[in-house]
Parts: sequence; structure tokens; C-alpha cells
Amino acid sequence: MIRFLARRVSRMVAILLGVALISFLLMHAIPGTPWNNFAGTPRVLANTATDPLMLRELNRRFGLDLPLWRQFTRYVFGDIGEDGRFFCGVICGNLGPSIQQHGRMVEDILFEPPRGGSLWESRFGYSIRLVLLGAVIAVGLGVPLGIVSAARPKSKTSRAISVALAALISIPNFVLGLLAIILLASWLRITQVLPDWDTPGDWIVPAVVLAVMPMASLARVTQVSFMNILGEDYVRAARAKGLTQRRVMLVHVARNALVPIITYLGPALIEMFAGLFVVESLYAFPGVGREYWQSVLKLDYPVILGITLIYAMGMLLINMLGEGICAALDPRLRVIQHPGAP
Amino acid sequence: MNASFFWRRALRRKSVWFSLVVMLCLGLVAVLAPWLAPHDPYRWSLEGGQSNLPPAWVDNPYKPGVAEFPLGTDAYGRDVLSRLIYGTRTAYFLALTAVPLAALIGTLLGLVAGYAGGRVDAGITLLSDIVQSLPGIMFAVIIILIFRSYLEPTWLNGLITLAVGFAAVSWVSLARMVRVSTLTLKAQLFVEAAIALGASRWEVLTRHLLPNVLHLILVWIINQVPAVILLEAILGYIGVGVTGAVDGGEFTVVSWGGMFYAGRSAMSRNPLMLIIPSLCILLMSVSFILLANYLNESTRKEIDFAG
Repeated sequence: MIRFLARRVSRMVAILLGVALISFLLMHAIPGTPWNNFAGTPRVLANTATDPLMLRELNRRFGLDLPLWRQFTRYVFGDIGEDGRFFCGVICGNLGPSIQQHGRMVEDILFEPPRGGSLWESRFGYSIRLVLLGAVIAVGLGVPLGIVSAARPKSKTSRAISVALAALISIPNFVLGLLAIILLASWLRITQVLPDWDTPGDWIVPAVVLAVMPMASLARVTQVSFMNILGEDYVRAARAKGLTQRRVMLVHVARNALVPIITYLGPALIEMFAGLFVVESLYAFPGVGREYWQSVLKLDYPVILGITLIYAMGMLLINMLGEGICAALDPRLRVIQHPGAP
Repeated sequence: MNASFFWRRALRRKSVWFSLVVMLCLGLVAVLAPWLAPHDPYRWSLEGGQSNLPPAWVDNPYKPGVAEFPLGTDAYGRDVLSRLIYGTRTAYFLALTAVPLAALIGTLLGLVAGYAGGRVDAGITLLSDIVQSLPGIMFAVIIILIFRSYLEPTWLNGLITLAVGFAAVSWVSLARMVRVSTLTLKAQLFVEAAIALGASRWEVLTRHLLPNVLHLILVWIINQVPAVILLEAILGYIGVGVTGAVDGGEFTVVSWGGMFYAGRSAMSRNPLMLIIPSLCILLMSVSFILLANYLNESTRKEIDFAG
């Protein structure tokens, strides 16, 4: 068991290091420097004259004058700081200072609430809350829809649900978000174009937009999984005993159909985290995704790296949790230690 | 299962008919764009109040729609319908380049990982784990930002950049699928027989393994077409798509994503400028997804029969 865990952890560390390395190299390959990069605005404006002495000082302060490999080790493991003392890098949880937001550390930007209050009020907390709300919507709507359409596969409701699901899967979430803004905010005036995030009601539209695609896939998975189980002999036997449809569905089918659905929760969550980048920019949501997007445009290296690492860590954790839950639910999936297996 | 049997069974489905007809129509539109488009999609017409026109059926007293521009014009007076028609070309071009490029990378890495095993396999699996843990869209954006600066901002270069960005992110899922099925295929007798007969590694890979994963690759390609169109649209909306706002690139490329970019500023005035391209994207992705759904189903059945 300990060996298994050790292998798992060392693999995670290797993946995170790889993520850090790849994103580090790529983001340094984007032309321009943090002082002179305007991916979103015309180049003409970019050449605002800056004092070369000042530039050199800025570069020195953020370690940008070092060779690339030194910058990388400085970021990951740490380096000797200006005061001659050693400071620790990412491995100690120090994400470094932001380049563009002067005087703030990356972990402050992400995790520190702007007006005091709890972690939920920080950028990270905002994003997590949105994803959780979306997950509740996706599961709460998707699973029942799938069950309903699996229970009577030939009925009109089931057909309608299938068509609606196919349509929903194919709507890109940002198109849906735009349509929601146009329809609900511009025409019907039910919601605000620029929502006020302190009122809970304004969270519903972005959460729904985020949840639609995972919801549709969850419904499909539920439907397929239920249909497969419904064809089994023991379900026929249960029906033959004279049990009600309700009892058969809930007791005999649901328990066995649950494993694939729970397995799919992980990918659904991942899909929502990936959707955050789009939905947050669309609604000017004060979360991590929008911060990430802006830091890419402004070439705020530490912020890009920090958010990428946290995202990767989240992905790995979700995958690991998913595997663990599956193994707990279905003994057949537990890891068997082969002596000779790689 | 031979081809004609497959088609006969497929064409019994209404959804397959629908998607094939839509794909064919859109393909025709893409090919015949110069003859179908009523105007030059690049031409500006700022004089005479021809910019920001609403669609022809809108009866706005200040700025009524004109029959000459059926879907209206954008801020530079360019005809929306013509841009929509030319945008179909961009979409198809991407579907025909970006997705096969991703498929090529995924197939190669998956085959090699599954067949070679050992260190190579471990390395490729680690790489795919790494890429999968990166946030996909942002990763694509960064790659596009890198490539774009080294190329002239032309239509072709913009599309190539986007194709590379898409391929760099999305090969992972295919590589995994191909690797797993190569692993199971490798253990089968016909591969052993081929090796015993003296087939080289290259021959085993191309003659015996590749044909057996080909159906997976085809289904995957059809599954991914909506993804690339979506990526183009999202990047266009954000402003780094093929129609990058930098260096005047917006004026050299016509794409649905670029129309989002143009329509973004007109959202409150003329929301149809956003709705029209989204409907086109919807139509194209629905057609590909319906076909992909059918193919998924039928391959799953095939696997069930085999197992």
C-alpha cells in the first residue's frame, strides 16, 4: 500500500513538474516582455518609451535577466534573494510576486479575499462556488432526465429529451452565454448585463451556462447506463416477481447503474473547470479564469504559472478521487499488483 | 462489416440523413462561395450610411434594412451574408486540416507507445498526462500567440496557426485510445504470426496494427470537428482567432469567430450579428455530432458482438 501511494505521489510530482516546465517554456516563447507586450492592442501603442535603466532594474527585480534555466529553478526550488537570504520556490507553496499587479503575491491574488471575509470571497473561492453551483445543476437535472428517458425509451418524452440533449451538447457554452445575455438581459431585462455578484440570483445564469454541456453528457451517460442494466436478467426477474416499476428502478437498477454515472462526474467537473475560462470572461466574473486570461495577455509570468499549476493539481486530484470512489464502489476495479507489470 | 452494408444500415437513420445533407450543403456553399456571395466580403462601404445596417426584414425607422444586404452589414459596411458564406470555407478548411493533424500526432504517438512499450510507453504516457492536465483553451491560445508572431498575418497563416494550436492540445485523447487498442491487438495471434514470418516493425505497425485502429481514428475525427470550429469561434470572440485584432489581421480573414468579434461591439444594437454566426456554428456542429453519435453507437455494438 505504501509503495503504491509513493508511486502515485511521485508520478503526480513528475506530472506537475512537466506542466510547470512546458508552460514555463511556452509562455517565455510568447514574443515580448511583460513591460512591452500588448497581445490585445495594436503594436503601435506597445512601444511607449521606457527608461532603459528602469527596465534593467525591473528585470533584475523579477529575475528576468537570468538565463531561462535559472529562472525556472528559481521559480520551482527557490534562490538567494536580494537580501542575501535563501527563499523557497513553488515547492514550499510560494508562487512568487506578480509582475503586473505591483506588490502582490500570486497566492494573495488568488486566495486572499479583497474585502476581508472568508476564502469563499477570493477569486479562487468565487470560481469554486460557481463550479459547485454548476455541478449541482448538472447532476440535479442531468441524472433525472437520463432516468426518465431510459425508463420508457420509445415514448415521446424520451425522444424529445434525446433530441434536446443532442442540441444542447452541440451548443458551445459561450454561444449559449451570449444568447442568454441577449435574451435575458437585453430583451427581457430579467437579469443584469453586468451582474452584481453579491446577489445570489445573478449567479444562476452563468452557472446554468457552465452546467449545460456536462448536464447533457451526464444525462446521456445515465441513459445508456440505465438502458444497459434494464436489459439484464435480474431486472426481468424482479419484474416477473411483480414488483412495481418504481421499486425495480430504484432498488434493482439504480444501484448498479450508479457506477458509470459517478465515474463520469470527474470528467464533467473537469469540463466545467475548462469552461470557466470562457464563461468568466463572458460575464466579467471575478474568478480565476478571467484573471488567467488577463495575465496571458499582459504576460504576467508568475500568475500564468501559478494558475496553471493549481489547475493541473485540481485535475490530478479529481482523477485520483474518481478512481478511488470507483474502486470503493466496484471491487473489480481495484488495483491488482502484478509482479511484473510496468 | 463491408462498406455498402454499413452505408445501407446508416442511411436508414433520419439523423444520419440530416447530418449528411447538412454537411453536403455547407460543403457546396464553401466551394461555391465566390458565386453565391452577393458582395465582396472584404469590401468596405462606409459612405451613404451603409455601415451597421440591420438585416433586411428589420423595420427600424432610423435605419431600415436594405434588400441589397439581406443580413445587414457590420461596422465597416461589409456584407454579413457574404462573410457568413466565406466563413464556411474557413470552418471546412479547419475541419480538414486541424483535426487530421491532431489525428496524425495522436495516432503516431499512440501506436508507438502501445507497440514499443517499456520506457517509450512510459514517456509518452507521462507526456499525455502532462498535456491533459494543462488548461486546454489557454494552452491553445498561448501556442497561437507564439506562432502568430512569426508568420505574416494572412488567411492561410492564421488558419495554420490555429490548426497547430488545436492539434497540440487535442491529440491526447486519441493517443490514449490508440495506445490501449494497440496493446490488446499486439497480443493477438495475427501480429505474432506476422512477426514470425519476418515482418519488420514498420510493416507490423502500418500493415497490421494501423488498419485495425483506423475506425477509431475516423470516429474520433468526426467527433472533434465541432471542437475545432468551437475553438475558432471562442478565440475569434476573445480576439486572438484567425482574425487576430493585432496587425490588422481582422481585415484579411473571414471566419465565423471573426464575425463574433465584429458583432461583440454591436451586441446591444443589433444582436442578430451574434445570433446569425452562432446558428451557423450550431448547424455545423449538430450535423457532425449526430453522425458521430451514430458511429459511436455502431462501433460500440460491433465491439459487443466481437466480445
